[in-house]
Formats: sequence, C-alpha cells, structure tokens
Amino acid sequence: MLVFVTVGSTRFDALVEASISEPVLSTLRDSGYDRLIIQRGNSVIESSEEFNGESCTIQRHGVDIEIWRFKPFIQAECEQADLVISHAGSGTILDVLRLGKPLIVVPNPTLLDNHQEELASALQILGHLKATSIQDLASTIALFEPRDLVPFPPFDGTKFSKLVDEEMGFI
Amino acid sequence: MCTMSSCTTILVFLFLFFCIRLFLAIFSYTRIRLASANPRLPQTCSIAIFLGSGGHTSEALKLASALDFGRYSPRTYIVSEGDTFSAQKALALEHIKAADHAFSDDQPQYELLFIPRARRVHQSLLSTPPHAVKSLLACMRLVSVRPLFKKGAFRQPFVDLLILNGPGTCVILCAAIFLNRLIGLPSPRVMYVESFARVKSLSLSGKLLYHFTDRFVVQWPGLVQPGGREIYRGCLV
Repeated sequence: MLVFVTVGSTRFDALVEASISEPVLSTLRDSGYDRLIIQRGNSVIESSEEFNGESCTIQRHGVDIEIWRFKPFIQAECEQADLVISHAGSGTILDVLRLGKPLIVVPNPTLLDNHQEELASALQILGHLKATSIQDLASTIALFEPRDLVPFPPFDGTKFSKLVDEEMGFI
Repeated sequence: MCTMSSCTTILVFLFLFFCIRLFLAIFSYTRIRLASANPRLPQTCSIAIFLGSGGHTSEALKLASALDFGRYSPRTYIVSEGDTFSAQKALALEHIKAADHAFSDDQPQYELLFIPRARRVHQSLLSTPPHAVKSLLACMRLVSVRPLFKKGAFRQPFVDLLILNGPGTCVILCAAIFLNRLIGLPSPRVMYVESFARVKSLSLSGKLLYHFTDRFVVQWPGLVQPGGREIYRGCLV
C-alpha cells in the first residue's frame, strides 16, 4: 500500500523529517504500507543531505521511499495513495478530501496566526479527517481507521451561484 | 471681508455635501436588501473577481466556476502584478468553461487586469504606505476613471458585481470603490467571501471590509454573530 506525504509548496521540515524517522516508518510497515512518496516542497531535510535534490529514491526500515521537491501532478499521487498525510493547508485538505482519500493532517506549529489548527480540528470534529502533531504522528498512524471517517460532501456550485443570482436580482 | 464670508459659505456647503455623501456611501452598505437588488431585464451581468494569490486564487476561481458564464459576462480577473500563477489559473478556468459551453459568439468574454501589490509577503510595515498609495491609484483608475471613457456605457459602473476574498490588495480595491461611492459615481455591488480556512475568526481583510461590502459571506457557522450582517450557506468551495 502507498502513503503520500505532501506539504504543498510550503516549508515544513519537521513533517518531512518525521515521515522518514524510524518510529513512523516502522509503524507504516507494520500497518501494511510498503511505499512512501514524499513531496517536500521547500522543506529542507537536515538529517540526510542526499534527499535535498529534485528527487531521490531510498529504502529504509522496510519501506520504499521516494522524495520529490515538487511533483508535477499531485492529483495522480493522491489518487494512487491509500493514505495521505499532509500539512493543514485548506487547499490541500479540500483536494484530498474531495478525492475521497483517508487523510491525516499535521498543522504546522511554527506558523503564527495561520489558523491551520482550527481548520484541522473543526474538520476532525466533523469526522472528515484525523488531525495530529509531529510527536503523535506514529501513534496516530497505528490507531488510524480509514473506515471510521465521514465522507466529505462533493463540490456543490449551486450554493454560490444561487447566492450571486439572489444578489444580482436574477432570483 | 465679503470674500471671507463667501469662502466660508462655500466651505460649509462643501462640508455639508461631503457629509451627506459620506452618509449615503456608508448607508448603501448597511442596507440589507432582502428583495431583488436589481430587478432588471437584461440577461447578463458583468463581474470582476479579485485573485489574491495561492490559496485565495484557488478559492476565488472555485467560486467563479460555480457561476453561469453565459449570464455573468464579461468577466474581469484582477490579478496582482507578477502573479503569473493566478493569471494562468484564470485562463485555465476560461478554457474549461469555453469547452463546456458553446457560446453564441467566439469573442472571448473576459479580460485579465494587473494592479500593483499593496504589500509583498514579509515586506516591512514601514515600506508599505508608498506601495499602498500606488496600488490605490491604480485601483481608482480602474474603478472610477476607466468607466468614464468607456464607449456607450455612460454612468455605468466598471462592473455590476465585484467578488473579493482577500488578502491585502483587495482592501485597497474596496477602498477605491468606497471613494467612488463617496463622489457619487456608479459603483459595483461588492461581495466578500471569507476563506474556508477561517473557522473561528475573520481574517484581517475580512475584519477591515466587514462594514464596507454589500454582502459578507462566511463558510463556517462559528463565524455567524447574532444580528451580524454575514451570511452562511455552508462550504462554498
């Protein structure tokens, strides 16, 4: 099974480092995930210099890892993935949930006043995803049950078009 | 002596005129219209959408994609200078929509306009004012001056509806609209849609524009205040 980790175009070193750390990789392997694709964006991996190129492939703790700086088609990776782990950016969250993929988000604690935490926990309360922290990532993966998640409603353009039609006097 | 008093009279009149305009401009926002805003026959309505950058652009274009492009035409996309991402995304949406609908004429019904940024990311607060002034002048040109020279559209606003969703530069754009209302020129209706990312508190742009928009839309129920002017219809993006 495949796990896709993405930080969008942001920089989130801690999430990328955590996802190639021993506890997370072992947990992934034990949960049946044998492939890991990471889209690191502008994150810098200090522990392993060789990962900081455009792309790199390696095997660690029984998991085949591919690290990319930017993937041209993130949607393709998401569609293949059995689990997505991402930063809590609203765009990424919406994209992944609309693809119906199980999602674990890690709000970036170094961002001030960006409200990722609020969005992540609001969506967790509604049951659409699981929110966690860097420290708890491994244990969250171990306990994660994709079947317990509530499907996110598909995009419904009629709500906004009706609003604008009302505003402009068409309704 | 006589000139002094006539000067004072003129000043008093100007002041009164300004107060009345100010009152009318502010009042035009606070009126919540439940009936049709514009019960008119023409079947099209021109719109402008401000594309703020990154996530703001994605949300704004998602909102735009929900609209009937046959009805909301022509469309103006307002992009910050140098923001090629937003410009490309807007063109991509127009392409998809053009493929979906066979419009009666082949003329493209949209345009892209670039305005200077009010404030760059990480820019110090001190160097913001000159950029903001430059940005405001460009917005005023777009909102107030340009419509005056548009052929066959005398006393028409630059568009019928302006959709904003942040960040920074959209506040400047809204300020230009406010000045436009203040001097009594025809102005577009302004709709602000707060980002889906805002769950418990409004963004800075949202707070600043709260009283200066005709429609203020939020996407989380926690942002609805009792007696507030915001409306909530669920997740729109």
